[in-house]
Amino acid sequence: MAQHNLGTVISFEFVRTVTKLRFWIGTLSVPVIMAVVFGMIFLSNTSTSSAAEAQKNAQFSISYLDASGLITPADAAAFGAVPAASSDAGIQDVRSGAVEAYFEFPAHPEATAVKAYGADRGLFENGKYAAVAQAMLARAVAVRIGSPQLSGLAAGSVQVETVTYQGSEVAGGMNSVIPPMAFLVVFYGLVVLLAGQMLNSTLEEKENRVTEMILTTLKPTTLITGKVLALFMVGLVQVAVFASPILIGGLFYRDALSIPAFEFSQLVFDPLRITVGFLILVGGFALFTTTLVAIGAVMPTAKEAGNFMGVMIALIFIPFYSVSLVISEPHSLIVQVFTYFPFSAPVTALLRNAFGSLGVLEAAVVIAILYVGAALMLRVAVRLFQYGSISYTRKVSIRTALKAGSRHAVAGPAEK
Amino acid sequence: MDEPVVHISGFRMDFADTTVIRDLSFDVRAGETFGFLGSNGSGKTTTIRALLGLYEPTAGVLHINGRPFKPEHGSRLGYLPEERGLYKKEKVMDVMTYFGRLKGMDRHSARQWSLAYLDRVDLAGKAAIQVDKLSSGEQQKVQLGVTIMNRPELLILDEPTKGFDPVNRRLLMDIIAEQKNDGATVVMVTHQMEEVERLCDRIILLKDGTSEAYGTIDEVQNKYGGRVVRIRHAGPIPPSPHYEVTLEETNYAELSITDDTDEAAILRELMDAGMVIRSFTTTKISMEDIFIRVYGEHNGSPAPAPGRVAATRGA
Ligand SMILES: Nc1ncnc2c1ncn2[C@@H]1O[C@H](COP(=O)(O)OP(=O)(O)O)[C@@H](O)[C@H]1O
Ligand SMILES: [Mg+2]
Repeated sequence: MAQHNLGTVISFEFVRTVTKLRFWIGTLSVPVIMAVVFGMIFLSNTSTSSAAEAQKNAQFSISYLDASGLITPADAAAFGAVPAASSDAGIQDVRSGAVEAYFEFPAHPEATAVKAYGADRGLFENGKYAAVAQAMLARAVAVRIGSPQLSGLAAGSVQVETVTYQGSEVAGGMNSVIPPMAFLVVFYGLVVLLAGQMLNSTLEEKENRVTEMILTTLKPTTLITGKVLALFMVGLVQVAVFASPILIGGLFYRDALSIPAFEFSQLVFDPLRITVGFLILVGGFALFTTTLVAIGAVMPTAKEAGNFMGVMIALIFIPFYSVSLVISEPHSLIVQVFTYFPFSAPVTALLRNAFGSLGVLEAAVVIAILYVGAALMLRVAVRLFQYGSISYTRKVSIRTALKAGSRHAVAGPAEK
Repeated sequence: MDEPVVHISGFRMDFADTTVIRDLSFDVRAGETFGFLGSNGSGKTTTIRALLGLYEPTAGVLHINGRPFKPEHGSRLGYLPEERGLYKKEKVMDVMTYFGRLKGMDRHSARQWSLAYLDRVDLAGKAAIQVDKLSSGEQQKVQLGVTIMNRPELLILDEPTKGFDPVNRRLLMDIIAEQKNDGATVVMVTHQMEEVERLCDRIILLKDGTSEAYGTIDEVQNKYGGRVVRIRHAGPIPPSPHYEVTLEETNYAELSITDDTDEAAILRELMDAGMVIRSFTTTKISMEDIFIRVYGEHNGSPAPAPGRVAATRGA
C-alpha cells in the first residue's frame, strides 16, 4: 500500500511538472541560449576563415616600407605589394584610397610592432591586414632560413605529448578530469534550476490548503520522499535536455566550433572516481532537496522562503570562490572545512574528486556525511511538514514542530 | 454496535499558554450521523485535527476504530477540512484520480467514478479544466467528490455547507444523506441548525473547552426545557412551577415547560386561572434556540438573532 502510494505520488508530481508549459520554457531556454551562443561563434569563425580565403584570391593593393631589410622585393611581389615612397606617403595613399593597405615593418620586428594601415572593411574583415602583414614577414623569414622544417619549428609549431604516472599507472591528465567533472556540472545545473521547485513543492501544498487532505491519506514520509524522487527525475529530464545540444554540437560541429580537439575515446573513465562522483552527486542532491523541502514546510510564503533559499545557494557555491585553493591546496584548513561541512561538501568534494585529490577514505566520509545528512533532513522535513504545514499562514517555530514530532514518536508505538 | 467508531476521552489541547480544549469525551457510534456543534473558535476543528493525528493532543485518548488514526488507515476515511483546497494548477480529473488512487482505487475506476460524480453535480465537461478556473462553489463540489471517493466508512465534514448556495446546499445534504444510507458514519460540524435537526442522530455542544450537552436531539432538547407551549390568549398568565414564561407579547406568549407535566394539564391550569386561550400549540425547543441560549449567554452580549429565550429578561 505504502509502496503503491509512493509510486502514485512520484508519478503525479513528475507528470504535473513536466506537463507544464512553464517547465519547458525554463528548461529549453538553456539549450536555446547555448545554441545561439554557439551559432554566433560558428558564424564569426566562418566569416574569418572566408575572409582569409578571399584575401588570398582577391588580393588587395598593398604598399609597404621595410626597415628590417628582411623582406626582399620578390617576397613582396608574391603579395602584390609595392614599396612606398615614405611612411607619410604610404598612409596618405591609404587615406586617399590609392591603395587599400600600407604596412610599415620596423627595423626590429622581433621587438617592435609591425604597423598596418588599411581602409576600414568592418570588424570581421579588418583582420586580413594583420594576417597578410604577418604572412609577408613569415614568408621572408622562411625563405631566409631555407628549410621548411626549421622554419616550422621556428614558428613554434611544436607538439608535445605528456604522459604522467600515478604510481605505475599512466594518469589520465585533463582527460581524466573531465568525466568526473561532469558530475559537478550536473549538480550545479540541477540545483540552480530545481531549487525553486524544491522549495515550492511543500510551499505549494500549504498555499493551496491541500495539506490536511493529503496528510490524512498519506504518510508524510511517503509524500516527501515521493516529491524528492520526482524532483530527481525532473532533474534527469533537464540534464538530458541540456546535454543534447552539447552532444550534438560536440559530435557534428566540433571543427566549426573550434572546440579543443579531444576525442571522446581519449577521455579516461576512472571507475572509482566516476562512482565517487555519482554518489556525491546523488547524496548532495538529496541533501539539498530535503533541506529546501524542509524550509518550504516552515515558511508561510514563497517570499520569506526565498531569502532562506538564497543563503542555501550561497553555501553551496561558496567553494567556487576558492576554487584555485581547492584544486591546488586540498589539504589546507579551509578546504578541509568545505569538504566536510555538509552544504559545501558536494561542490568541494566533486571538484577534488575530479582533480584526483580526494582520497578514498575522505570520499567515504563525505559520502557518509551527505547520506546521513539527507536522511536526517528528510526526517526533519517530514516533521516540519507534518506539524508546520497546517499553520497555513503562521511561521512554524522549528522547536515546537520538532518537539511535537519527538513526542509523537514516543506516543505512537505503531510508528517505527 | 459495541465498539464506537470514534472514541474520545479526557482530551485536552493547549496551544502555548491557551487551553482550547479542557476536558472532552464523547463517542460516535457506527452508522450514526453525529453533529459536532459549538460557536466559532470553540475548538471543533482543533478536535478533528487531533483526532486525525494532525495535531498532537496535550492529553487524552482519541481513537478511530479502536486505535489512534494513522494516514495508512485512511483509505476509507472521507475528510472535508474546513480549510478547503486542491491542487489549483492541475486539471479536475487529474486531482480526482490522484486522490482516488491514494485512497486505494485503481486509475480506471477512479476515472469512471469521477466522471459519474462530475456529471451528477453539474460539472460534466469540466473534467479537463484547471481547478483554479472553476468558481469557488464548483471547487467545493470537486472537493466534496474527492472526500467521498472510495465509499468512505467514516465521513468527517468540517462546515461542509460553507460557501454553498441554497441549491448546492440541498445537493450536498442529499449526498451526505446518501452516504449515511449506504452505511457511512458521519461526523459533521455545522452552524445550520435546521440541518442538525433534520440529519443528526446525536449531537454534542462544545463550550468552554468541554461538553455542554451531549446526546440525541431529544435528550438535548429536554435538557434545555424540552417542550415549548405557544399560546394566543387574553388575560394575564399565572405563575406556575411547571413552566417558565420565555416570551410575552400582547396576546402571544411562549412558555417553556420545566418539568414533565403534560400539555393538557398546563392548558387546564391556564384556563382555570381565567385566561382566554385562542390557540394552544406545543413544540420542541428548536436547536437554534438552544444554540443561542448556550452561546448567547456566555458572551454576555445580545444574541445574534432575536432570541425568544433572552427576551423575557428584557421584559
Ligand atoms: N495551530 C494553532 N496554534 C494556536 N492556536 C490555535 C491553533 N489552531 C487553533 N488555535 C486556536 O484554537 C481555538 C479554536 O480554534 P478552532 O478549533 O479552529 O475553532 P472552531 O473550529 O470551533 O471554530 C481558536 O482560538 C484558535 O485560534
Ligand atoms: Mg472550525
